Amino acid sequence: MTARRQLTKITPYTALLPMFVTVLVGYIGAAVWTLGMSMTASRTFPSSRFIGLAQYERLFDNERWMLSLHNLALYGVLFVLACLVIGFLLAVFIDQNVTGEGVLRTVFLYPYAMSFVATGLVWQWLLQPGDGIDSAIRMLGWHDFTLGWIVDQDMAIYTVVIATVWQASGLVMALMLAGLRGVDPEIWKAARLDGIPAWRVYLQIVLPMLWPTVATVLLLLATAVVKLYDAVVAMTQGGPGTASEVPAKFIMDHLFLRSNVGLASAGAVVLLVPVLALLAPYAYARSRKEAA
Amino acid sequence: MNVNSIAQRLPAAAAGEQSLARSRSRRRITAARIGIYAFLFTAALFFLLPLYVMIVTSFKTMDEIRRSGIFALPLAATLEPWRQAWSTVCTGAACEGLRTGFANSVAIAVPSTILPILIGAINGYALSFWRPRYANLLFGVLMAGAFVPVQVMIYPLVRVLALAGVFGSLPAIVLVHLVFGMPMMTMLFRNYYCSVPHELFQAARVDGAGFWRIFVRIMLPMSLPIIVVAAIIQVTGVWNDYILGLVFAGRENLPMTVQLNNVINTTTGTRLYNVNMAATILTALVPLTLYFASGRWFVRGIAAGAVKG
Amino acid sequence: MVAGRSLAFAAWLCVSAAAAHAGPRAEVIHWWTSGGESAAVRQVAQAYRDAGGTWVDSAIAGGDQSRAVTVNRIIGGNPPTAAQFNTSKQFLDIIEEDMLNDVDEVARRENWDQLLPEPIVGVIKVKGHYYAAPMNIHMQTWLWYSKAAFDKAGIKKEPASVDELFAALDKLKAAGLIPLAHGGQSWQEVILFSSMLSNIGGRELYLKVIRDRDQAAINSAAFRKVLLAYKRLQSYVDPASPGRNWNDATALVISGRAGIQIMGDWAKGEFTNAGQTPDRQYGCIPGLSVNSPYLIQGDVFVFPKTDDRDAIQAQKLMASVVEGPGVQLQFSKLKGSLPVRPDLDASQLDVCAQKGMAILRDRSRPVGVTEVYLTPDQNGALQDILTAYWNTSMPVEKAQKSIASALRY
Repeated sequence: MTARRQLTKITPYTALLPMFVTVLVGYIGAAVWTLGMSMTASRTFPSSRFIGLAQYERLFDNERWMLSLHNLALYGVLFVLACLVIGFLLAVFIDQNVTGEGVLRTVFLYPYAMSFVATGLVWQWLLQPGDGIDSAIRMLGWHDFTLGWIVDQDMAIYTVVIATVWQASGLVMALMLAGLRGVDPEIWKAARLDGIPAWRVYLQIVLPMLWPTVATVLLLLATAVVKLYDAVVAMTQGGPGTASEVPAKFIMDHLFLRSNVGLASAGAVVLLVPVLALLAPYAYARSRKEAA
Repeated sequence: MNVNSIAQRLPAAAAGEQSLARSRSRRRITAARIGIYAFLFTAALFFLLPLYVMIVTSFKTMDEIRRSGIFALPLAATLEPWRQAWSTVCTGAACEGLRTGFANSVAIAVPSTILPILIGAINGYALSFWRPRYANLLFGVLMAGAFVPVQVMIYPLVRVLALAGVFGSLPAIVLVHLVFGMPMMTMLFRNYYCSVPHELFQAARVDGAGFWRIFVRIMLPMSLPIIVVAAIIQVTGVWNDYILGLVFAGRENLPMTVQLNNVINTTTGTRLYNVNMAATILTALVPLTLYFASGRWFVRGIAAGAVKG
Repeated sequence: MVAGRSLAFAAWLCVSAAAAHAGPRAEVIHWWTSGGESAAVRQVAQAYRDAGGTWVDSAIAGGDQSRAVTVNRIIGGNPPTAAQFNTSKQFLDIIEEDMLNDVDEVARRENWDQLLPEPIVGVIKVKGHYYAAPMNIHMQTWLWYSKAAFDKAGIKKEPASVDELFAALDKLKAAGLIPLAHGGQSWQEVILFSSMLSNIGGRELYLKVIRDRDQAAINSAAFRKVLLAYKRLQSYVDPASPGRNWNDATALVISGRAGIQIMGDWAKGEFTNAGQTPDRQYGCIPGLSVNSPYLIQGDVFVFPKTDDRDAIQAQKLMASVVEGPGVQLQFSKLKGSLPVRPDLDASQLDVCAQKGMAILRDRSRPVGVTEVYLTPDQNGALQDILTAYWNTSMPVEKAQKSIASALRY
């Protein structure tokens, strides 16, 4: 092989060096470190006192942690579904050649730009029984209307769904809209010729074509679900009591506030295991597809 | 098949700004169209509700906030909270408002956007066209890393950066944003390049062009739409970031969000809700302006194939 | 932005000018960011400058964030000169890792052992060395009440026992007011619990449970009585209380919509801001009997380890400046807290603070809040149980057992 061709062969590898270093040192390194920490008695500072799986025992004995996992599963399903449906609907409706499309798009997208520190507080006000939306609706005439979800043990997590869907659907809408715009106009012409109603075209022809878009959106939303922290802190602080606790908040609280790095690390490891379990088959399937 | 024809086809296909609807029948005021506008209007109300509350609150005095409901319009509207938020609110012993952090936020945001985009583009390009061995595996691990809550990685990163001697400085925070931004950026560019026809690439290779040549001469110019998309996502993330800037940037480079947090989240002090709202809107103005300005680009970019798996 | 740049430049000039004068430079991390707190910390900064030093301010709102940054900077090798912590076990780990400098010299010279209240000394003195300079004291379980609300409910005198408290709450309920203004956050629930434990159980039970974590005491009938009283308080709060910020609850008392709030003396700032004065529109009760333990918490400065001679000098200077009588009075006046030195003249402080100072001088009454005796982990576990007990229909026996096992280690 000439020197030139050799260079060409290794250039992609050198170009990927930053990614390699980042993954190795940043991600794999951090993962190994966290795994190690989860088996020590670390408190404020990382310690090297090995205690085996004791932190995991303590973790699964902890009601707050178990509740947080339960909440995450519930929240995850609702959040992803709601964002997908609302984002898709918004995109479809905006795609109907409506006037003021630019304004509408911005109206739906702006929540994404605002940090949750203050928008979370606003949502707390809005959903507060007696002061927020329910008092406004009562003034409009429905005297019996109450909206006490945010102070209800069982319903608090749904309020977090509402606020985060508000924040994220705009982004989903934008992504879906772009996907829709990439669909071949010929499809529409053919469908019209066949006399298929518009809603059926969207649902049974266009949506399957958008699968790659949907897959990307799913990935984006899934990462947001696992990392859910700001919204809970800003809106309910995990309350009432510990009713709306989520894993990322549990981990964060124990990392710094409770000065228990060991327990927090165990929580992080447990959080990531299902993620990896879901990703691995997907990645495997893709690599097979590409090898083929 | 030359570069120009390829490069032209992409935005044209993407500028399905002429939406599907146009290829259908003319606009009529049907029940369906009324329904469409009704739905969009209702949705817009839901989305705008919090913004309304924020704006209205930011023009009231604290007295009024204590007394009146959150939806009430200010009786005695005042610009004072805005002035305070920008230049006089206390964020510690210093009472200089938010403006002190503004320059820092810019200084952090610019490199923390350019560098991850550049590296994301290179990664995406290498992954989708050149496919070195094990690169996909690496990419898989990177994507798994996208799920890790930021806080979990703080300790190891602190240690590593301290070892490298850069902890608590501008390079440190840029590096950290690079590490956390890499998964998303790489995914965006990789998907984009995967949907670009590869014939152009083959032709260039046959002509003897190497890795960097093809990247700089052909791919990069074609990627303008996706670069804008990536920039918007990255700038929003970096501008609104709080915890990373707080830990890694060092005292001299603390971003605006730290001041924002100092204004909003006092532990046992009094809370000025009107100033909080004004401060939040002020902080959000930069990403919001970017959205307004590049909304069109945003859609066009993704349409050019960023999301096709 | 030009303003930011020139500010930074000016700061740099100041720093280098000060360096030229060899004034010890102290970078201080703290979380005093609101208006009143900010004014208070500026007094300390000014006093430090007057003593010849240079103050570099690093304010980070939120105690947890602030402490997290301090810890991270210590790990990262770039520690601040001084950092704020609470009088608690939060910095015990840091001492164990040998990451703090001691201030024994200043402590012995100014006789902190005799000067300061006993719980405070217990926190800052570890293994015979002094690792923190206390700044102020807050009392956690004051009872604040609205005179207008009391009038409306026909309550003639301040409750002087737990039974009278519940009677007053009943009267407020009958008058259609919110009896107890409460913000449903777990730390506020701990305050209610601490109030019941100290007022019903008295000093002995309190210390046995919280300081000694005595299993027998926790499982006793007396402690059960405390838990039941704590839960009983819940029937007097309004349904919108969960998640409410403490100052919004104080606003209810200020406006007369609620009768009583049990909260620390930082609540005074809210009353003052609304233009109310103690003993006129509102009243403050430190405890429900003359022997009630006075639960104190406070803020201290710790000094991360460094070998830099200038930094050590700065640390010693800070430790001594912070304890000075002038600074102590000015700081507390602006913050609404109490000075850590009971020997000061309290006439400049408001009526409620004067009541507090009088109690502080009686060395048998001050006792630490839960975080003074429990590690952050234990305190957190206790908090979790208390808030769950408050919010769910957990039976009292379960709560008692859970507390016993949480505090066992």
